[in-house]
This record gives sequence, structure tokens and C-alpha cells, in this order.
Amino acid sequence: MQKQITEANFRLLLDSLLLKGQRVVGPRRTAGTVLYEPLSSASDLVMDELPRRSAKEAFFPVCEDLLEYRKEGQQVQVTDITPDRFPETVLIGIRPCDAAAVPVLDAVFSWDYNDQFFLERRKKTTIIGLACTQANDACFCTAVGLSPSDPKGTDLMFTPLEGGGFLATPHSDKGEAFLATWQDRFSEPDGSTPLPSAQPAATPFDLKKIKAWLDEHFEDAAWDSIAVRCVGCGACAFVCPACHCFDIVDEGTEKTGKRRKFWDACGFWKFTHHASGHNPRDLQPKRYRNRIMHKFKYYDDKFGQTLCTGCGRCIRICPVGIDIFDILQDTENKG
Amino acid sequence: MTQTIDISRYSALTEAIRTEARRILSDGTVSAVIGYTSGRRTGAVQPIVITAADDADKLLFTAACVNNLAVYLTKAKKDVPKRGRIAVVLKGCDLKALVGLIGESQLKREDLYLIGIPCSGVLGSVLKPDQELTTATIASKCCECTDRLPQGCDFVPAVDLPSPVPLEQRYAAEIARLEAMTPSERWEYWKEQFSKCIKCYACRQVCPFCFCEQCLCDRNRPQMVEQSPRPSGNTAWHIMRAMHLAGRCAGCGECERACPMDIPLNLLNRKMAKELKELFGTEAGFEVQDKGPLTSFKEDDDQSFIR
Repeated sequence: MQKQITEANFRLLLDSLLLKGQRVVGPRRTAGTVLYEPLSSASDLVMDELPRRSAKEAFFPVCEDLLEYRKEGQQVQVTDITPDRFPETVLIGIRPCDAAAVPVLDAVFSWDYNDQFFLERRKKTTIIGLACTQANDACFCTAVGLSPSDPKGTDLMFTPLEGGGFLATPHSDKGEAFLATWQDRFSEPDGSTPLPSAQPAATPFDLKKIKAWLDEHFEDAAWDSIAVRCVGCGACAFVCPACHCFDIVDEGTEKTGKRRKFWDACGFWKFTHHASGHNPRDLQPKRYRNRIMHKFKYYDDKFGQTLCTGCGRCIRICPVGIDIFDILQDTENKG
Repeated sequence: MTQTIDISRYSALTEAIRTEARRILSDGTVSAVIGYTSGRRTGAVQPIVITAADDADKLLFTAACVNNLAVYLTKAKKDVPKRGRIAVVLKGCDLKALVGLIGESQLKREDLYLIGIPCSGVLGSVLKPDQELTTATIASKCCECTDRLPQGCDFVPAVDLPSPVPLEQRYAAEIARLEAMTPSERWEYWKEQFSKCIKCYACRQVCPFCFCEQCLCDRNRPQMVEQSPRPSGNTAWHIMRAMHLAGRCAGCGECERACPMDIPLNLLNRKMAKELKELFGTEAGFEVQDKGPLTSFKEDDDQSFIR
């Protein structure tokens, strides 16, 4: 059932949540950069800027401890993680391109192994989306089957209204429950018109056609021309809402330490470097090829989904201007 | 007040680069030209390696030509073919880095054909590449640039630059602000900045001086620096980076420009450069130096730190 909320009531609602001790994560400016971070007051919330990093870190943090070890004599004590480290969380102001990536990630984190770190956070998080009314020239959600108002992945979707306030549309039981719990802050929709949705200048790709080309062109001169300039950093993967590779490393001393899981990126030379010294992806174009193949072929082969939501972050931040939209367009034209 | 910066000469530069690239590729002077070309988005620019004279018209120079292309010449970038003599398009700041690489025996001058750009400045950020170059959008490094006209190149287009508009010395001001802080305030400032680091290593990968075939941070047998993006490992990395670049960094500012988390990395490098200048009277320039200030000893070196 749709509800409506004024801007002022929305801020009051946020403060009530925080007052109740609820963990609320949303776009917030930290040392000059907007990131999805825990809010300490409603005034922290930044609503007019796409955070530099995606919302995936609410489920798959940049870095987390998996276990702790302590060695005394011949005895090794291993302390496991505890469920209380996954607090109930309300994720607020999530853009459709970020929210849509979450169900895409569910597939890989609950495939041959149920990743409790991801899934526990998933269970305990309510995702409140915010439809976009502005796009920039790097946005291309409309090209990969989504839209600036797509509710995919959200429990509750906020759509900005003409004259202020939001229309709140639930898309899951969690969303319904949230509206029921906080019904005092909401009112019945008064028929106000939603603000026009953003319009990214990107027409839908024929993803099947792109995949068909990728199926046949693991070896192709195009990879060199695309990625010879790639410098091999992990920026594109780290700002991506859908990239999910991680590394696990033990850090500490012989006596005590922690096993940590943190983001990894296929652009790094070390990513496929074997213990033998051999590296099957010895040059940067082979690494960049993996980025495209994983997103538009392998993930589709395995899970029937595309590992890209068109947020455009990689296009904006690539230090050498590699533009994934441009690559997809060329690939489609070749297919 | 924000003022537009005159870059009307950049179209003449583009023409000159194209003509020269066509000539040196046709007559076999070079096997490849590393330059800038346009991207899909309005105003976007990306590095390109061309090997055919017919591709010379792809080259250009605009205020979005931020990259230091010298990075592609180092041994760390194996992907760029290095057969024969290679031409590279360089701004003054980029050239100073290349000169440093020659000084460190990483490059040989005779293998290179240097196309120098008389530069009025470039954008500080290309997140939005179609921005106009103004006193507000210009890169901080350009505000303090004293080397707009590259020296010692094989070709520099004959273009008269308009006299530079006065610009706020942002690094100097920020360094002064940080120097005035107490050590604990300064520590808080950097702790907050480094907390944003996600160890994507964009700063390392775009740096011409980060040519180590295996960075200490990538070592895991044994691990030298914590690899995880946490406060301790992040801080270790950034201090190591700053120290390793002291006396070498030429100030191209690519680390800071490439950082997706907006960490003011060049501030560390500028502070180091300031110290080096005060202590040893050295700074990055267009003359090849056999030894850097931290790899040579002179009897009159400042030794006040030995107590």
C-alpha cells in the first residue's frame, strides 16, 4: 500500500530511528567524499549526490575479520565470528543502480556456499531506495535493463514528489512492516505528481548480442586496443556495486592475529598470480577482458544475470578514461 | 572570484601535435606515439598509443589532458610495446617526471622523442570532463606551476601562451594550515583521510616513479605491509609511498587526481618537496641529475637531525 511522507517528516522519521538506537546507513559526506556510512543525525543525509562507492559495502564491507587466532604453546585457540556483529540496519537513500545490484549478488553469495557474512547482513537490512531525478553523462542504467525509478532490490521505494516529500511504495514484507511500524509519520497519498524521472542518454543494449560476441571472442585484437592503456588499479572494481571478488589474508604475529577478508580486483597483476610464478593473465588486456567477460558472459552463463547496473561509477573514476559503455556499444555493433 | 582561463591556444597545439606525429610516424623516426585522444563523453580524454600516421588526427590537447603519459614508458607497464624510438606527449610536470626516470636509469633519452606542450593548465578533476577551465576548476598543481614551457624536448609547438592569471597557491596554503596544527590534530586529519582508502592502488599505478616490479605492499612471502584496507595498513602504505617518492616526485599530481576517494595525496608529496628544497636546495626540474638528494652525500648536507 503506497504512502506519502513530507520532507520534514522524513527527517523526523530518521531522527526517531536513530533515537531508538536503530543503525541507519545512508549517503553521508566523510572528509569531503560522499559515501554510504552510518548516520548520526538526519542532517547527515546527502540526497543530491551519488555516493562515490556503492552500497554493496553494507553487505560486503571493504574489510572484515573472519576469525581471530591465539597460540599458546602447542594450543591454538580460534575465535569464530558472532551473530551479534550483524546489527539490524536501515539502508536509506539507496539509488536504484545500487539497490538492483544486491539481488544480483545474492546469487553468488548463496550458490555453492552460503556466505553467512553477506546473508546475515542481508536478512537484517531493510533497503529504502530513492528514485533518481537527475542523471549525468556516465549513467546508463537504462542500457542494462534498469531505470532511474526501478525498485529492484528495494524493500521500500521513495519517489520524490513535485512540491517536496516522497511517495513510498513497498516492494517486500520488510517494506510493508516498515510502513506499518512508522505509520504515524506517513499519510495517505494525496495524488501529488512524482518529479519526472531522470533520463540517462542510454538506449537499451542487446545484452544477448553482446554475450554472443563474447562467447566467440575470448581471443581478439579488440582487448589490446581497449585495455593497453589500463594501468592495473582496482578503482573500477572497488566502486562497482556488483564486483564482489575478495582476498583472505591472515594478519598478525605468530602468536596472535586475525583472518581478514577484503576487496580484491581482477585488474591487479597479483589477482591470478600462481604460487608457481606463472600468471595466466600476464598482461593488462587479459585482466580487463576478465572484467567484461565476468559481467556480461560468465555471470550470465552461471546465474542468468548481468553483473552491471549501469551506475557509471567506473566510467567517472577510471584514471585513464576507460569507458565500459563505449566498449559495450562497440561490442554490440560487432555482434 | 572565479575567472576563465584562456586555453584558446590548445587548438593550435592539437594541430601541431597531429602534424608532428604524422611526420615522425611516416618517416620512421618513431614506431609509436603516446598521446591523448577524445573519449565518448563530451570533453572526455583518454591516453592512446598510435602506430600509424593515419591515426595522427586522433590526437589532441585540451584542458582534460590530465594524465602523465610518462607512466606508460616504465618497465612496470609491460603492455605498451617498446620497440624502437617512442614519441610521447608531455606537459612540463610530466616531463619533469620523465627526466627523473632518465636520472634513475629507467629510460634512455635516445629511445624517446619528446613532444613538449606549452601548457596553461589542466582540470583538477575529470569526474565531469566537460567543465570549463577556470581559476576554480584548474588543478592545484597548475596553480603553483613554474614550468609551463617544457625544455629539452625534440619538438615543442611554437605557441605563445597568454600570461598566466594569478592563482591561489592551494598547496602552500594547505601545507601552512597543517603545519600550524599540533601533531595530534594533524594525525586526526590524516587518519580521517586515510580511513577512506580502499587500497585500489590507483595512486601507485598512475605514478611514473612507482615502477617497482613488485611493490612492497604486494609482498606476501613474507608480508611486509598489512594488505587489508584498514587504518594500520592504509597508513603504512601512504607513509611508505610519500617517503619513497621524497626527492623523486616531480609533482605531476596524478596520485591525487586518480584517487577515487579524494585523498589529498599530493599534499604529502608537496610537503616532502618543500623539506627537500629547504634541506638540500634541490627540486624536480628539466635537467637530468645523476643522483637525487637522498641518494647522494655531500659534506655540507644538513646533519642537524643527528642528535
